[in-house]
Amino acid sequence: MTVIHTRPIDRQMHRAGPALFVILLGLCAAASAIPAQAAPNHVVADLSEDLVEITSGYHGTELLLFGAYRGMPGDDLILEVRGPSTDLLQRRKEQKAGIWVNVETVKWMAVPSFYHLFSTRPLTEIAGSEALGDARIGADTLGLRMAQAAGGNNGHGAGDDSVIGAPVAGTAAQTEGLARNMTRMGLWGTKSNAVATQQDMLYRTALSLPSNVPPGAYVIRVLHFRDGVAINESKTDMNVRKAGLSALIYRFAHDYSLFYGLFAIAFAVASGWLAAVAFRRG
Amino acid sequence: MYIYLPIAEVSMHIGVIIGLGGGVGFLSGLFGVGGGFLMTPLLIFFGIPPAVAVSTEANQIVASSVSGVLAHMRRGNVDFKMGGILMAGGVIGSSLGVILFKFLQSIGQIDLVIQLSYVVFLGIIGTLMLTESVRTIIRSKKPGGMRRKLHQHNWFHGLPLKMRFRRSKLYISAIPPLLIGAFVGVLAAIMGVGGGFIMVPAMIYLLGMPTAVVVGTSLFQIIFVTANVTLLQSVQTQTVDFVLAGLLLLGAVIGAQFGSRFGARLRGEQLRGLLALMVLAVCIKIMFDLAVVPEDLLSVELLR
Repeated sequence: MTVIHTRPIDRQMHRAGPALFVILLGLCAAASAIPAQAAPNHVVADLSEDLVEITSGYHGTELLLFGAYRGMPGDDLILEVRGPSTDLLQRRKEQKAGIWVNVETVKWMAVPSFYHLFSTRPLTEIAGSEALGDARIGADTLGLRMAQAAGGNNGHGAGDDSVIGAPVAGTAAQTEGLARNMTRMGLWGTKSNAVATQQDMLYRTALSLPSNVPPGAYVIRVLHFRDGVAINESKTDMNVRKAGLSALIYRFAHDYSLFYGLFAIAFAVASGWLAAVAFRRG
Repeated sequence: MYIYLPIAEVSMHIGVIIGLGGGVGFLSGLFGVGGGFLMTPLLIFFGIPPAVAVSTEANQIVASSVSGVLAHMRRGNVDFKMGGILMAGGVIGSSLGVILFKFLQSIGQIDLVIQLSYVVFLGIIGTLMLTESVRTIIRSKKPGGMRRKLHQHNWFHGLPLKMRFRRSKLYISAIPPLLIGAFVGVLAAIMGVGGGFIMVPAMIYLLGMPTAVVVGTSLFQIIFVTANVTLLQSVQTQTVDFVLAGLLLLGAVIGAQFGSRFGARLRGEQLRGLLALMVLAVCIKIMFDLAVVPEDLLSVELLR
């Protein structure tokens, strides 16, 4: 998990470094009128809440993602909201004897459980695919990989840890299927024309978290694009965690599962008995 | 008002949950069945993960069986000896069922097996009940209909380990009830049902028990089988959501009240005919879901 997390940033810095430097030089020369104390092309990001608590009453929530940047007319912003990485199983159905049956299971590794992009314009209009790749924007640039299951992908063994060999990239159908399924569950998504800007200085967008939002650490990146190139980037963090009674019950069920089971039975017996008593009176 | 279900990890409207409990409770009160075979598919339909639906429904059936069995106990309609043998088989069977459930889950075939079990068993039971009730309705129109024997003698009356079941007026081997209990236990664990809809006909037609004691005895053993499933699923898969179970129960208690009052106005064979139609409707719906081209051939499951 950590490998996938750190590598994109490293690679992006190495690749984008020289380009950024040239652009910065050019900008400094052009914008000599800007006061010296102001760092050029600064972008800052903030959230209306950086801690989202999933309590018993939680049914999705909406946050305001906002900040300031030093822009010019025609500049673009792309906001990336990325949730904790998780492994996931992808299954494929085939028709056998008239019914649809899962015939193949593959295991994707370190997939962002939440990945939403917000931009001022459609991504393809903001930058070319190479520039987007350099900036690691879009699920197709994440370099997601699948575990190679022992004995081939016959559906058996993909779910356990009997993994041999190096991880492999998925086929186009598998990669597209992953994005399609995650989008249908509301966990991935791209919203163009969703970032509102004011006087090339302020920006904001509404980030709505679904009711099935995965708990964990979130990273929000804001990228400032000019003429198809990312010229600046900023990051901020957000935490989603279970809280209150629902967190307590979840931890009880997982940490003391035997007692949880006994409690669930006792609870059922007691409420069944209570119901019977209430019946007899009524 | 929405409530975030801590184990299912989805939020549902509290009115929908209580309404589901009430609707299924009404039908179970009307027909005198547990209703697990309706509730589990409905929960899955409403977005509860299948594993959570099955385990949680087991937990809820513990409660509804306790409240149901008390009324039968007051009337002396529970054969505890027979219930004990069925329960022993049921506990073994449901333990195997939970292990099988986990294995099928790991190879990605649990949904298919749940659906196929529903199609097969609801199909058989529904068809048998429908033909039986139609025959009864036709026969009741003729004066002086046929009279059945108290019980037929089957091949298994020659089996060893014979025991006397006084309440059931039977002297039979303990092996058939043990096997029936085990078989229904496996199904209960996999399908998220109490198994009464299989247990009751098996008791009447296979064991030859008098109809007066079958429902009470079935409910008695279902308590232990579903309690066993609740415990094992809690420990093995942590998929029992007692918040969901409690809310469903709240609706079911109220619904069952109305259902049983309404049912008192209908005749037995009419009720059985209606129940058979409902069972077949669920069967056909699930069969249709299996046969129709899925909206997406690929699906994903997040591992935590």
